[in-house]
Amino acid sequence: PPPREVCTEMVKKNKIKSLDNDDDGGAEEEEPDFSDPEDFVEDITEEELLGDLLRQKPKETDGVESVIIVDGVPSVGAERLEKLKNVVRKIFKEFGTIINEFYPTNEDGKTKGYIFLEFKDRAAADEAVRQRNNYKLDKQHTFLCNLFTDFDKYEDIPEEFVAPVPQPYKDMGNMSYYLLDENCFDQFSIIYDGGTTTAIYLNAVPEAIEVAKRERWTETYVRWSPRGTYLATFHGKGIALWGGEEFRQVQKFSHPGVQFIDFSPCEKYIVTFSPHVDQRSEEPQSIIVWDVRSGLKKRAFNAERPPVWPVFKWSNDDKYFARIGEDVLSVYETPSFGLLDKKSIKVLGIKDFSWSPTDNILAYWIAEDKDVPAKVSLVSIPSREETRTKNLFNVADCKMHWQKCGDYLCVKVARYAKAKREKNEIKYSGIYYNFEIFHMREKGIPVDSLEIKENIQAFAWEPVNNKFGIISGEPPTVNVTFFQVNKGQAPSELKKLEKRPCNNLFWSPQGQFVVLAGLRNMSGALEFIDTKDFQVMMSTEHFMATDIEWDPTGRYVASCVSWWGHKVDNAYWLWSFQGKILKRQTVDKFCQLLWRPRPPSLLTAQDIKDIKKNMKKYTASFEVQDKMRYSKASREIIEKRQKQMLTFTEYRQKMIEKFEDDKEQRLCLRGGQDTDTLTSNENDFEEETVEFLVKKETVIVDE
Amino acid sequence: MKPIMLQGHERSITQIKFNREGDLLFSASKDPKPNVWYSINGERLGTYDGHSGAVWSIDVKWDSTLFVTGSADQTMRIWDVETGSSLSNLEMKTSVRGVSFSYSGTMIAYTTDKMMGHNSELDIIDVREPNDIDATPIMKTQVTPNYAKALSVLWGPLDEYVVTGHEDGCIIKWDMRTGKKMEVGQEHTKLIKDMQLSHDGMMLITASKDTTARLWDLATLEPLKMYKTDRPVNSASISPLVDTYPHVVMGGGQEAMDVTTTSSRIGKFDARFFHLVFEEEFARVKGHFGPINSISFHPNGRGYASGGEDGYVRVHVFDDAYYQFKFDF
Repeated sequence: PPPREVCTEMVKKNKIKSLDNDDDGGAEEEEPDFSDPEDFVEDITEEELLGDLLRQKPKETDGVESVIIVDGVPSVGAERLEKLKNVVRKIFKEFGTIINEFYPTNEDGKTKGYIFLEFKDRAAADEAVRQRNNYKLDKQHTFLCNLFTDFDKYEDIPEEFVAPVPQPYKDMGNMSYYLLDENCFDQFSIIYDGGTTTAIYLNAVPEAIEVAKRERWTETYVRWSPRGTYLATFHGKGIALWGGEEFRQVQKFSHPGVQFIDFSPCEKYIVTFSPHVDQRSEEPQSIIVWDVRSGLKKRAFNAERPPVWPVFKWSNDDKYFARIGEDVLSVYETPSFGLLDKKSIKVLGIKDFSWSPTDNILAYWIAEDKDVPAKVSLVSIPSREETRTKNLFNVADCKMHWQKCGDYLCVKVARYAKAKREKNEIKYSGIYYNFEIFHMREKGIPVDSLEIKENIQAFAWEPVNNKFGIISGEPPTVNVTFFQVNKGQAPSELKKLEKRPCNNLFWSPQGQFVVLAGLRNMSGALEFIDTKDFQVMMSTEHFMATDIEWDPTGRYVASCVSWWGHKVDNAYWLWSFQGKILKRQTVDKFCQLLWRPRPPSLLTAQDIKDIKKNMKKYTASFEVQDKMRYSKASREIIEKRQKQMLTFTEYRQKMIEKFEDDKEQRLCLRGGQDTDTLTSNENDFEEETVEFLVKKETVIVDE
Repeated sequence: MKPIMLQGHERSITQIKFNREGDLLFSASKDPKPNVWYSINGERLGTYDGHSGAVWSIDVKWDSTLFVTGSADQTMRIWDVETGSSLSNLEMKTSVRGVSFSYSGTMIAYTTDKMMGHNSELDIIDVREPNDIDATPIMKTQVTPNYAKALSVLWGPLDEYVVTGHEDGCIIKWDMRTGKKMEVGQEHTKLIKDMQLSHDGMMLITASKDTTARLWDLATLEPLKMYKTDRPVNSASISPLVDTYPHVVMGGGQEAMDVTTTSSRIGKFDARFFHLVFEEEFARVKGHFGPINSISFHPNGRGYASGGEDGYVRVHVFDDAYYQFKFDF
């Protein structure tokens, strides 16, 4: 039952409030009767009323929970008991005050070899068990520590193993149906109305078709899984996944306060992160790894501050995931979710790491430490074999960029001319840049170096092939340079585009084509470039654009003005890869556009080559199809217009008749003057002279 | 053709209006002096001096003898068009928002602001004796608190009813004799900035802050068409040549206070031409460097004038391309 005082206290408060609200000065009023009528039945649960207090209520298990049993303690007689107690106290004191200890004895007065210790709280007991289980006291004695409450738990485990009942198979339909679209149109999701509405469209020709639209589908934003099977929505209580033809809910993961998610590359697992959960709780809750198909929690972790998302990075095949800690790299394996070889890899001074997108190779870098230079290393997993290292000097920072096919790794090294130590911070000056390019597919992994004196604004690999582009310099004089990586020789500069109004470059997922964009404060300048001959195919603008998104096939580009970044003109525009504007779609408080990804192509290199060879043949048939679609659309428009015109003409006819019928009345109201047309009262017109300035002339008059 | 720029106002234009023949163009602004111009050459004929506040609304009688102005100085004045002299000055309790001459020109309907404990009102006065007006309205209706504040007002074609545009986006038709509500048009979601009639008084076009303009059948307040833009619409006008050139012209733009980055090059202060029947935009005319507050076709349908937040009035005459353009249907 709730403490009595609290109830009366609350009643008093309410009373004061009600008096305050009473303007008529009801101070003299008689105190109302607050007691319940006799037949009154409480309909508010105590949990609702006093939940916070009830949680503090003492529980029967409170004392027991902080008791641990230590087995493997030496068996001693009364004469040595005090000494043993001292030893045990010393070993356990660091976990908290021991408020009670019990050493059971035999009939002969010797201790039984196991003891009970009671700590001041559960957390101390937990920690004692965790740290002192298997503690070697000496050669003969090893402590085995258990929570007292665990005995109940283990006793309850049935002797016979009962296999879990398989869950009934739920048919979710064809989750890959979107790949079967006969016209190969792609889907995209948009969020608008300031976040309240989410819709999925099929990017059909000539007009996009709405596939699904829901109000309050997500509370913040949405994410597609990397292969496009699932759409993830964010909610206060967790994450929901949607898919299939009708976008039904296929899975949900309960994780209160979740803000970030990350799918593994093959979509087997999803990692959710709730940054504000209590880090002190005994069970980790802030980062949870889930199995996508079963919805089961696989493992939970605490976030080590300050977390940079994604905390865990996945290998390309979903087999491993890893994160860095202080001087360690922890690699976990699936499906066991334990540490690989049960221990982390010790790497002194590790700063960052990254997986190859195609192979189980990790790249990491470690910072300089006094006389030891900085280093970039490549490590094979699970063998932990170091396949390549490169020492670097005068390093302020490194960024690792993998080319999407895993053929190259570029490490962008910020190097300094001078370093000054001020208090605890190191100030670097005279920063310049080096690109260290690792040729992953060549024997011995040769490394090229390329030095750039200017400040680097952006770097991007062509997703396929061997080109990369950089944006360098200080605005407004920003240069874009394209390089090509060669076998056996230094990277060659292909083209330098000088003074471009851009701050980002976006490669087509198929390579070759690139969009240079001056986003946000550079007011949305766009350039579409073919890197085959570096021809600028189109130089244009989407004013105040905040985002650029290539469709997964490299056929279309969307430029967006998101309400999240800019409050007016919210819209998405669709362009062809050549920069031809296809659609300007203004959407009220438009927030986000995301193309639905596609899984990697099943076509072999030869297949693709054959298709490219026969491109002319395909082009012709596609053009015919497009033409038919457009003519069908324009036919529909014409038909619609004809119908509208017919309806309107009929309406106008009636109006004109009515107007004629009313003529008498109008004449009457205006004293007999016919003013129905501009010239109907011509006789009353007055003539006026109006002057026009025809030309100006200056004439100098002789005096 | 190059437009004529009328420079005479010191502050943003609130309303412009052609007289029935279209030879004169009247303009009012947030400065207290309405102007009248020759529409053909842009020559200013004179000003109407007397107000001490912004002039919200103007109208001119069908025979171009009388001119009425409603002002924020809480007066409504009736002027002699030709001499510019103030014939009467009617004092109100609050600002005058909308003014309108009836078809016969014998009555004026006006709306007043809700302010300082006074309700927004719709009143009608008799102006047959412009020099000696009885300030007591012949019809008086409280608009608030039953309805949202009334802004613009105009008369139906035969002096039988008036229509008001309101702050919440609705339009209401009132019986002139009884002051009773006859019809409500509830389509717009934000306030009505302007209302104009077709030349024959059969159709009504409303401009709203909800970024649309709508066409209505005036007799029934049946919605006919909707013209969608991406900016608040401040004014809209139906071409007098509606049966040959079914066009509407609209003006508007984001208010300066709502724009973080001002750039006239995004061209959002354009006059925009829509096909009246197909609801499709077919032309834009640049020029103003602030939102257009009032726009009107010339009564002969061969040009239009616009008044902007930038303080300018621009008078345009269409070139041949305007008449040659046709939609396929």
